[in-house]
Amino acid sequence: MNDLKVVIGFTIKDMVQRKSFIISTVIILLFIILGFNIPNIMNAISGEENSNSKEKILVVDTNNIYEGTLDELNSLDLGYEFEVVTDNIEFNEIKQKIENGEIESSIIIEKNDSNLKIRYIVESMTSYTQIPEDLSNALNSAYSSLQISKLGLTQEQLNSLNPNIEFTMEQTEEEEVKGNVIIIMLLSLVLFYAIYFCAYQVSSSITTEKTSRIIETLVTSTSPTNIVVGKTIGIGLVGLAQLCIIVLTALICAKSFIEPEILNSVLDMSMITPSLGIITIAYFILGYFTYAMLYALTGSTVSKPEDIQSANTPVAFVAIIGFYLSYFTMMNPTSNLNVFASIFPISSPFCMPFRVMMGIAEPSEIIISFIVLILTIIVITKLTIKIYSNAILNYGGKIKIREFLHK
Amino acid sequence: MGLVLKGVSKNFGSKKAVDNISITMDKPGVYGLLGTNGAGKTTTIRMILGIVEKDTGEITWNGKKVERKSVNFGYLPEERGVYPKTKVYDQLIYFARLKGMSRQDADEKIKELSKELKVEEYLNMPAEKLSKGNQQKVQFMTSIIHNPDLVILDEPFSGLDPVNTEILKNIIIDLVKQGKYIIMSAHQMATIEEFCSDIVILNRGKTVLQGNLKDIKNSYKANRLLVSTNTKIDDMISDLNLTIENNVDNKYTIKIDNEDIARKLLNTLVEKQIEITKFEIQKPTLNDIFIEKVGE
Repeated sequence: MNDLKVVIGFTIKDMVQRKSFIISTVIILLFIILGFNIPNIMNAISGEENSNSKEKILVVDTNNIYEGTLDELNSLDLGYEFEVVTDNIEFNEIKQKIENGEIESSIIIEKNDSNLKIRYIVESMTSYTQIPEDLSNALNSAYSSLQISKLGLTQEQLNSLNPNIEFTMEQTEEEEVKGNVIIIMLLSLVLFYAIYFCAYQVSSSITTEKTSRIIETLVTSTSPTNIVVGKTIGIGLVGLAQLCIIVLTALICAKSFIEPEILNSVLDMSMITPSLGIITIAYFILGYFTYAMLYALTGSTVSKPEDIQSANTPVAFVAIIGFYLSYFTMMNPTSNLNVFASIFPISSPFCMPFRVMMGIAEPSEIIISFIVLILTIIVITKLTIKIYSNAILNYGGKIKIREFLHK
Repeated sequence: MGLVLKGVSKNFGSKKAVDNISITMDKPGVYGLLGTNGAGKTTTIRMILGIVEKDTGEITWNGKKVERKSVNFGYLPEERGVYPKTKVYDQLIYFARLKGMSRQDADEKIKELSKELKVEEYLNMPAEKLSKGNQQKVQFMTSIIHNPDLVILDEPFSGLDPVNTEILKNIIIDLVKQGKYIIMSAHQMATIEEFCSDIVILNRGKTVLQGNLKDIKNSYKANRLLVSTNTKIDDMISDLNLTIENNVDNKYTIKIDNEDIARKLLNTLVEKQIEITKFEIQKPTLNDIFIEKVGE
């Protein structure tokens, strides 16, 4: 037990002191902080002092066609501030106001015979510039209302012309999926990379010990179990700490730099509960252990550093199959295949936390998934330690896994 | 008591790596393990250390089965290895702690040994910045830092310059004085002759010669005569039907079958009043014995 602690301590110290680890962590954190500040940075570049200030649109109704009803535009909350004038303002005067930054754009309302003509003036036009749909709807609606009101209809007749239609959506399945599936799939991707890259470190560390020939001194100092398990725990703890720092930084940045309405429209923060956190950490640990043990197995069979890629390819395939099984079935989270992916040990770590997050995981499914994953880890760990013990001192040619088992 | 190997064998597939070898080391000192490359020395060492399972036979230390927990041993492998990116001090502490030492004891011992081995200035450097010789000294420190009873040194002097070889030799002499059991494998026969009381020579996994080094050498007849004179003596040598192996400036190395023929030559030289500066009858060196036993 003491040896295990010593191996864990050494592994942690060795990892966190590496320049590559420190630099990559700092870069990831900077990217996160920068990423969440992109809207603010863009606003700063465009010179807006107050991102909350609404764009000002000058509405010129020289002939008073709307008969003063356009003032109501400001009460519709379209995201613009309207200044309605009935004076005759020339195009050049509008151009001057746009260039001075007094207004963002202008709407000129004219009447051509019986047709209403609306000119939308902006500073510069690209093929993507369009008249905002809600603005044109509002102008249409205001004009219709004005004309209808002149017909002398009763209130009931008016109400029947503008029915208050309420749209709702319902599903036939009993389970309700919460949250934005795209965002959840993205989070699944983050968890996959966290597990995959931490596990890969185990393989790389074991191969380094073998190829630098330190392993002979090491295996005479402690047992292969202590080496493999200690190294896996050490790297896992560092990876978990790194993941927590990254997630915490992302959450703090999301809360600090993103408007609450925008944030809530993307991710329902009420879904992030302590129990979800515990389940995600548990799946990270178990998923990491599964893949770390597989990587320890392949890492111990490598004799030369250049062979590490090819030796690790089978594990990479297993991981990618597991991830995609989870990722694509998440598009239809209530399907049987997604339930399978949440229990199958190679995909469950990337799948189950998000079924829990979406509120569709049954407690029995979670328990079965945990049991299957833990049993898988026990089997893989025993197999890995057996193969590691036989393979780690072999520097000869390529030997098949089966031969290492029977050595 | 001490270390006993009885009828130990190991096969790798169809290849017999070690074939029925027996070694008894019943008193402190240095035991020489000799053999050509691939003779089975490293496999024997690994079996003693328990990192390779033996197929048959018995290995005991003080009557008990050899296990990592039951034997306090130190091991310097033939393959030099250090953690390249880790500070020397950190890796020394790591191995000392794995051997059960407290951090404080390990720290004191590191200071003491690094002074003796002249590596103090490198303790806070990553190992990859050290020369090969210094890396080897660091690895030697890991093998003896925990004051082991049994020390196994696989080629301890290979790659060391004369100054460092001398430093290491002095430490090994100290270890012998402290009553340690040391098994040493080396290719430099002179080193083995200097340190070892007993030896075993392996060839293709089999024991070809074993025993006390002095007894082994005594069992061989004299086979070489070294004579240095002030004049040429080729005629006198050929008159006695002897073969000259080498002659540089009248320093002769002559092949002989027995000591009597050497004395005859000495008498002839004295009779002819030839000035003799050196006359030495030599028994075979360990190198000669080794080549005789394992040479193809």
